[in-house]
Amino acid sequence: MPPKQIQLTVQNISKSFAGKGGDFNVLDDLTFTINESDFVSIIGPSGCGKTTIFNIIAGLLEPDGGTITYRGEEIESLRGRVGYMMQKDLLFPWRTVMGNVLLGLETRGVDQKEAEEKAREYLKQFGLAGFENAYPKTLSGGMRQRVALIRTLIMDPDILLLDEPFSALDYQTRLYLEGVLKDAVQTYNKTVILVTHDIDEAVALSKRVVVLSGRPARVKVVHEIDIEATSPITARNDVKFSTYFKTLCAELDIQTEKTS
Amino acid sequence: MSLVMSGAPARKKAVPRKSRKKRSTFDTTLGRAMLQLLGVAIFFALWEAGVHAGYISAFLMGSPSGIFATSYKLILSGELLSDSWYTLFEAILGFIIGTIFGSLFGLALWYSVFVAKLVEPFIVAINSVPKIALAPIVVLWFGTGLISKIALAVSLTALVALIAAYQAAKDADVDLQSLMISMGADKHQVFWKAVVPSTLPSIIATFRINIGFGLVGAVVGEFISSQRGLGHMIFLASSLYDLNSVWVGLFTLMILGFVLYYVIDIIERTLLPWKQATTSHQVQV
Ligand SMILES: Nc1ncnc2c1ncn2[C@@H]1O[C@H](COP(=O)(O)OP(=O)(O)OP(=O)(O)O)[C@@H](O)[C@H]1O
Ligand SMILES: [Mg+2]
Repeated sequence: MPPKQIQLTVQNISKSFAGKGGDFNVLDDLTFTINESDFVSIIGPSGCGKTTIFNIIAGLLEPDGGTITYRGEEIESLRGRVGYMMQKDLLFPWRTVMGNVLLGLETRGVDQKEAEEKAREYLKQFGLAGFENAYPKTLSGGMRQRVALIRTLIMDPDILLLDEPFSALDYQTRLYLEGVLKDAVQTYNKTVILVTHDIDEAVALSKRVVVLSGRPARVKVVHEIDIEATSPITARNDVKFSTYFKTLCAELDIQTEKTS
Repeated sequence: MSLVMSGAPARKKAVPRKSRKKRSTFDTTLGRAMLQLLGVAIFFALWEAGVHAGYISAFLMGSPSGIFATSYKLILSGELLSDSWYTLFEAILGFIIGTIFGSLFGLALWYSVFVAKLVEPFIVAINSVPKIALAPIVVLWFGTGLISKIALAVSLTALVALIAAYQAAKDADVDLQSLMISMGADKHQVFWKAVVPSTLPSIIATFRINIGFGLVGAVVGEFISSQRGLGHMIFLASSLYDLNSVWVGLFTLMILGFVLYYVIDIIERTLLPWKQATTSHQVQV
């Protein structure tokens, strides 16, 4: 195995929002690193600032302090270079499936024909061939999520930021899409940061799991997940799965006791 | 339960499910149209009967038979058609100019919160003036011809469109815009791909109101001074106590408004195909 190279470093990031009783710290001195081709899950209590981290990395929010380093170079944000899949599926209702998938390539000014060809390939691979001209309203939740995923992947971003992408779906669809995601990430060799509330999902998909403490968010512990599995379903059958699961549950439980 | 089922003869008929409401035979497009026409026919029949029996003054109210004869005459002479065209032209042109300029200006305010806040009180102030009160000045400025009617229609429609467009642009989903920014889109791309399309439903909704305002502007302009148009015809006829002609003018305006309303319906459906999937499917309660 080649030595792990660090792709992204988030260092001493802090962020506070103005609230009723003065400013409140959401992120305080948060530091973590992401390796090349990493798959990192971030778990932590609701409202601890996970979406805020993503918004800062994606360049939608400015941090109060701290630095982001990307491949050795200090940067403001990864705006334009990340594939951000937000907590809601956020398809443009007035655009068809094809139109939604093409959104990013359009903003980038990619040739229409070339872009459509690429889109058709992705749609076929994700089992959405034939739905090019359907409007989002007519799709099922799982299909919408797949469209959003394609829209994110087709941009060929350096890093995928996935904010609870499957949380609104039923268990079966989620299992299926986890598999789709894992395959796609392997095929296209992407780095993924996944925010999830689902410990089960975090263990089954990730190489590492970052556990955050409650507000202000700090990295409590990072767990390496050492499961060699071909799919998220087989990962769940691994002997080490339940150990990881229990450890992470305990990690979160202690936290909730402490904070509440 | 099972005892009853097996023992007693099945005398009771199956009760139809409550949720399956029986539709009345008239609850079809044709059925409804027939009922609506029947209502109109009864209204005119009572009116005519009232005139004949002497309860209703034909001098002050006109009569359906008189209206019919007058409209026949006005159609044959070509006056009704040319007056209608004239008014329709003014109304539509005023509507188009007012809606386009109003919407564009309202949308453009999205670009700068500073400018938007600066001009907001002025927009509110101008909007609170009853624009019809401007009619005499508008005629003074733009003369008694076509331009003054169009100007009046523009003044009535532009602010409605402006306020609707501005509000809709303000309300446009921030997350959609954020998503585009994270993709590296610039402000113009966010504006054209996220903001403008999401305001379209609101802007098109103002078409319905504004097409009516366009007609109001045209007719009021013609009231004040004009040689042509339905407003002119109504004004002239009423000063001559020719009530039947007044009614012909009013009914023609009604028909114009009616047709325009459905034209806008068609425009809406072609411009917002993605809305159809939701709006055509109403929940039955
Ligand atoms: N724009 C904002 N203005 C003020 N407060 C905000 C803003 N965005 C987030 N917050 C607050 O910051 C805190 C963290 O929010 P964030 O959305 O990052 O949480 P999260 O960890 O993603 O939660 P969840 O798991 O429920 O999605 C919350 O208390 C939220 O109310
Ligand atoms: Mg969140």
